[in-house]
Amino acid sequence: MSITEKILCTKTHEYILKNDDGTYTVGLTDYAVEQLGDIVFLELPEVGSTYSKGDSFAAIESVKAASEIYMPISGEIVEANTAIVETPETLNEDVYENGWLVKIKATADASELDDLLEYEDYKEEVE
Amino acid sequence: MTKETFLHAKHVSLGAKMVDFAGWHMPVQYTSIIEEHNNVRNNVGLFDVSHMGEVFISGKDSLEFLQKIVPQDISKLVYEKAVYCQLPNEKGGLIDDLIIYKLGINYYLIICNASRIDEDVNWMSLNSKGFDVKIDNQSHNYSLLAVQGPKADELLRTMGLDTLQDSFTIKPAKILNRKMYVSRTGYTGEDGYELLVENDFAEELWDKILEYGKPFGIMPIGLGARDTLRLEAALHLYGNDLDEETTPVEAGLSWSLPKDKKEDYNGKSVIMEQIANGGRKKLVGLKMLDKNIARHGYDVYYNGVKTGVVTSGGISPVLGANIALAYVDNKDIKVGSTVQVMIREKLHDAEVVKKPFVDKRNKIRI
Repeated sequence: MSITEKILCTKTHEYILKNDDGTYTVGLTDYAVEQLGDIVFLELPEVGSTYSKGDSFAAIESVKAASEIYMPISGEIVEANTAIVETPETLNEDVYENGWLVKIKATADASELDDLLEYEDYKEEVE
Repeated sequence: MTKETFLHAKHVSLGAKMVDFAGWHMPVQYTSIIEEHNNVRNNVGLFDVSHMGEVFISGKDSLEFLQKIVPQDISKLVYEKAVYCQLPNEKGGLIDDLIIYKLGINYYLIICNASRIDEDVNWMSLNSKGFDVKIDNQSHNYSLLAVQGPKADELLRTMGLDTLQDSFTIKPAKILNRKMYVSRTGYTGEDGYELLVENDFAEELWDKILEYGKPFGIMPIGLGARDTLRLEAALHLYGNDLDEETTPVEAGLSWSLPKDKKEDYNGKSVIMEQIANGGRKKLVGLKMLDKNIARHGYDVYYNGVKTGVVTSGGISPVLGANIALAYVDNKDIKVGSTVQVMIREKLHDAEVVKKPFVDKRNKIRI
């Protein structure tokens, strides 16, 4: 099963992936990164911060513009991919394996994900 | 209704990402803004800047008319030379910035910003009363291709460019045996040319420049890199760094303003007063001291007090740092001062540095 078959996407271009240990990995979709172009800046939250679904939790900038990244589910940040803050251009190559952003312990029921889209449907919606 | 240049189909077929800019559907990037930027600094790039305006001025009062509408002394502009000018209103605020080329006796070309063509032509018409002058907006009849970078001259020579030109000159010249106006000007801080051609030759010329340019490593360059290139060179963008509330003195353009021009011109009393005593604000160059990026509209603070606003900001691929142009009103702020830029509700230090950020030949200034 390829990774795009396991993720859910928001209309604001975040993806969420459920891990075996029950946490979620969150990142930006490949489509979003392609639209942004060269990524040159990334700001990630501190481990331990908590957010509600829809809150802005991180900032990303391409050469052209600054954008915010929103929580797809309410939760606590349990890990931030600090390595890519130093090399944000990594995101232009890969948004899943090395280019994920944070890991979250959800504080809400998984039903909060009901309005998210499967990758294929998301692509159809945004293109 | 968004307009398209005569090269629109070329951009689409090259896979460019297209955006709306000043009412035009233009390429923002073909591959990567950073890659395109570096290619212009190191090799050569081809730009479609056909959206820009071309206005021809003729008639026996052409010189007197131009003397009235710009602060620069057009009587000193000789045949086939170009001069960077501004178009001030009565208060010294800028309706546009432009380049005036002298093509002949009582015959001048003005190249102006795409977003300001209508305002410029209206303003010129209003100011032409009593002058025997013809203001001929030919923007729709010409395409403008810019070939910019250290290898631009050599490339155009291989295509038969038959003139020798200094910077800020324009000549009727032949490339591929076709006549056009060739001007050694640009908006990148690099050596380069701008080729003014009739629309029906634009596509062929575009293709041939890319073909002949291959051994020189040519790339087509979008508006994204055009913006980062001009920012490194600290060249103003109308609508960001210049507007009707800002004088050329405040914009740091005093180097372009003659102190001894006899003729009266729009805004002269304000501009001369500001040359002597300074403006209400001044444009400074900023270098961010952390990784944050200052953007257009962000507030600037000095000693905890808001003192101004960023008008252009972004990355400098050559410096590997983030840079900005900002207007500040505190007169104590000078090169070497530390100010702060408000980014996502936090203050980030920036150093006031000399402009341009990057000099021609990539000599780094800061």
